[in-house]
This record gives sequence, structure tokens and C-alpha cells, in this order.
Amino acid sequence: MTEKQSKTPISRRKFLKTSTLVVTGAAIAYGAVSVPLLRSDRLRLRPPGALDENLFLASCIKCGQCLQVCPPQVIELDDISQGFGIGSPYIIPREGACILCNGLPCVLACPTGALNHDLSLGKDAEMGLAVITNPDTCLSVLGVNDLVYRLENLGKKKTSSPDQTELKEILTSLIKKLTQDEKKAWQTKFALADISDNTLLSILKQSEHADLKWIINFAGSSGQAQKACQVCLEECPIKDEKPIVFVSKTNPNTGKKHIWPSVMKTCVGCGVCEEKCPTPAASVKITPRLEWSEKQTGIQTRKENLT
Amino acid sequence: MTNISVRNDKKQAKISTFKGPGMRPENTPQPGHAKHKWRNIRWAVLLFFNFFFFASFFFDIQLLEGTLSGSRLLGFHLIDPLAAFQVVLSSKIIMVNLIIGVVTIFLFYLMFGGRSFCSWICPYHWLAELGEKIHLNLKKKKIIRNHTFDRKIRYYFYGIFLALAGITGYTVFETINPVAIISRFIVYGPSLMLLWVMVLLIFEILYSRRAWCRYFCPVGVSYQLIGLVSPLRIKWDKESCSNCKRCQSVCLIPHVLTASVNQGKADYVNSSLCTRCGLCVDICDDEALSYGVKYLDKLI
Repeated sequence: MTEKQSKTPISRRKFLKTSTLVVTGAAIAYGAVSVPLLRSDRLRLRPPGALDENLFLASCIKCGQCLQVCPPQVIELDDISQGFGIGSPYIIPREGACILCNGLPCVLACPTGALNHDLSLGKDAEMGLAVITNPDTCLSVLGVNDLVYRLENLGKKKTSSPDQTELKEILTSLIKKLTQDEKKAWQTKFALADISDNTLLSILKQSEHADLKWIINFAGSSGQAQKACQVCLEECPIKDEKPIVFVSKTNPNTGKKHIWPSVMKTCVGCGVCEEKCPTPAASVKITPRLEWSEKQTGIQTRKENLT
Repeated sequence: MTNISVRNDKKQAKISTFKGPGMRPENTPQPGHAKHKWRNIRWAVLLFFNFFFFASFFFDIQLLEGTLSGSRLLGFHLIDPLAAFQVVLSSKIIMVNLIIGVVTIFLFYLMFGGRSFCSWICPYHWLAELGEKIHLNLKKKKIIRNHTFDRKIRYYFYGIFLALAGITGYTVFETINPVAIISRFIVYGPSLMLLWVMVLLIFEILYSRRAWCRYFCPVGVSYQLIGLVSPLRIKWDKESCSNCKRCQSVCLIPHVLTASVNQGKADYVNSSLCTRCGLCVDICDDEALSYGVKYLDKLI
């Protein structure tokens, strides 16, 4: 009996000792393992004003307040499936890009300054840089109009009626770009009393596939269709500085002259161009944290820079 | 060796000799079922605040934005002291917002009792309380056995994770912080990290009773430091105590009551570990335990 009594506390003490060592050791090991993994993880596009990646990860408190105040609701929080940056905010521009809103509420909301409070204007952000990753599919290089391209894609889909939200979006942009004469042609087609943009749209929204063909033909014959796609520039939230310019350039593969989009120094990497790019896989992509330098302006060097 | 045993014997003697002065007379009825007044209030507060976090974002009320790591109440910063401490150590930058947020939290919990955060606000604690009930049930049926760890591990963890933040330049603990993970889940929806929380809960249910809160959680340690000085404490009335010790049987950290109930030395539960949960107040039939404010009670 006495033997048993004296035995129990010793084994318990032993358990306490070993378990303490094991548990504290595990904590240290976790830190030693997780941090290098975190560092080697791929770069993500952070919200505007983010400090250098390592300092950003050090400062971010993972509270998600930037996410809460984001007007377009594009900020998401990392999970373990994305690596060890658990809870830190990032943006996937193709699914929803930062629009550099006035006042940058995400920056103001950040309690730790992981999003640098010195940044007050969207055009001064340094999130990354747009890169024309796929010049072969770029509509601008191919000389194809984006609205016609989208309408044709819509017609190819084998559904009973075209996607109405998509159609509305295309037609709204198309109507805005029509000349007065072209609008009159639509008025005749649908026997409309007036030719306001809204009445045109309300008629067109009810279109079936047969009408879609007519719309495609019409759009193709309009003056707008002769213009190659410039969506990336049109949608860019930085209006005055024109981060994308279209320059004439000979395609080294075919020897033909094309208009190439070229990214300039004023690009902040917000990702709107990537989100709005009409090709099935975006022809322009944001490389997070990439800095602009004179040498990188050529499309080829940019591509090399990526790989 | 002999010294220690002598000291232990003395301690033992002291504990066993103390009998509550207000012994319950033989013929009084046995204590009835526990009231759940304070527990119900506490759970209501806990669920309300966590729902408030959720509602502020979900319904866009914008009154309490953020999570338990960092938030703003009506635009005023509130920041978890441990998270703030880690950020300062890892980034080597001290932001004014951090100071404001931590000082506000400090003042708030100075008024409301330090580790009251654990039992009154922390969503993990609530899950752990439910888990504890399952644990005790299984233990009663002799399906499982409880394993205790060294309570000092929490301080080691506190030190280790702060050191890791400083050395690695990353807030390592925030990746596994179950409080933050659950709080983010409540506000922003599920993440795979909830699996880690599940692992913790299963570990607590099957292996070691309420282990995270008791032995490991460094978040609690930072609130415990506030609790050292916070005057809001459980008051113990020596005269009316019948020394039934049922308070210790329900207490989340039973040894905090030792100085009062076992030794009759302290009028207040002075341990900083006390979470001011009120379970002891609820179960006491003698009305010997109540919430009190040390120093202020004497003045009145």
C-alpha cells in the first residue's frame, strides 16, 4: 500500500515534467517550421498601402477590419490551405479587383499600420504591376473589338436564352458608344418613339437568340467594332496618368505590325484590368510587389521576368 | 527535505483545521439544485458580444467592427494585448493605434476583473465549458481518465510565443490562436483552421479537462496580468460560510478558492487566475460568496 502511494506522485511528477517539455518543445518547433514555410510561400496581392511582405506579415494583426470596410468587398482572409499567413488579407484581382476608392478606407481601418497610413491617394499605391502575360490572346494585339467579341461568345453558348446580366452589361456599354445615326437604325428596327438609352436597353434585354444574331451583326457593322479592345485602359481607375498605352509594334513571331498594350510606371497593380479583361483567361495579370523599371517595359522582358 | 515536509504538514494542518464559523445546523435541508443566475447572465453577455461582432459586419451596422484580435467600438480602437505585444515585437514598430487599443482594453478589464474576458467574452471558453460537461460525464462513466498538465505551461507559452514573434518577425501564435480563429469564423465565415479548434476540443473532452484554458492559453495570461490589480473580485463572507466546499466542486479553477474556503485567510478571491465567472456565487446556499469590489467595499 505504501509502495503504491509513493509510486503515484512520482509517475505524476514525471508526466508533468515530460509533458511540459513536449508541449513547449512543440510550440517552439511549430514556430521554427511554420515561419520558413510562410516566407517561401507565393506572393499574394495585398490591399493598397501594404508594407514590404515580411514587415506586412509581422504587423498584420489578422482582425479583418480592412475586409469589413472594403466598398467593393474584394478583400479575403488567408486560410491554412493557402499557407501559414492565416488570417492575413489578400485580393484575387480576377475575382474582384481593388478599385482604389477615395480615402482608401482599408488603410484607414488598419489598426497596426500594416497598411501604411502614409498612403492617402490610390494612385500612389504600390501593390504590384500589370503584366501582359498572354499577348497571343490579347484582343488588342489581335485587333478585335471587346464588345463584339463578348457578344459572339454569348451567341456561342448553347442555352435557350443568352445570359441576361452579361447581355445587359455589354449592351449598356455598346449603346454609350454608338453614334447618333447608329442609334436611329436601332430605333427603326424596334419601331421606337424615342431613342433614349434606357428604352433601347429595355427592348434589347428581352432579346432571344434570333435577335442576338441581329445585334451581333449590327454591333459588328457599327463604328465601335472597328476599334480594337482597350478595356484595360478604359476600366483603369487611374484616369489621368494612363498606366497603359497602346503602341504600334511588330510581332517578332509573325512579322506583322500590331497595336500592343504597354504598362507604364504609373500602374499601381490594383488589378482592375485583370478583372475586366474579356478573354477567357486574362491576358493581363498582376504580379504582386513587382516594381517598374525602364528595362521592363518591353512585353518580352516582362514575360521573362515572370518565369 | 525535512523542511519541506514540515512546511507541507503545517499547510495540511491549517487546511484541515479550518471549519467555517457559520456551520450549517444539522437539521437544515440539504442544498438544493444550483441556481444558474450568473451563469445565464454570463452566457448571455458572451453570446451577445460575439453576435454583436457578427451583426456589425453582416448587417453592416458598423458599431463593433473587427474581431477579438482587434476591433473598433464606435470607431474607438480595442486591441487584444497579446496580439498587440506580438505585433510590436515582430515588426519593431509601435503604432499609436495599438497603444490606444491596448490601453482601452486594459482600463476596461481593470474595471471588470482581468480574466473576466475568458469566461464572459471568449467564445472558445464557452465551447470548452460545454466540452467540460461532456468530459465529466464520460469520466463519471469511467470511459476516460483526466490528465493534468503543469499550470505553468501557460507562462512558458506566453514567453515562447513572444520570443518567437521577436526572433522570427512573425506573429506565430496568431496562426494557432483558437480565440482569433473562432472570432474570425463568427464574423467572416468558416475556415479550415476550425479543424485545429476541433482537435483542441476533442483533446479536452477525451484526454485533459478544459486543457487549453487551464494550462496553455497565453491570451488568458495577458488578461490575468490585468486581473492581478483589478479590484472586482469574488467576495467571501467568513461568517455565513458553512464550509460545504461545493463552490470548489463547480469552480473552473478550484485552487483559487483555497485561501478563502480552505484556509479562511482571505476575504476576497485574490488569485489573478479567477475568471470571475460566478459559478461559485450561483451554487452557494449560504450567500457567503458574492461579487465585490476590493478596497471600495471597505469604504462603504
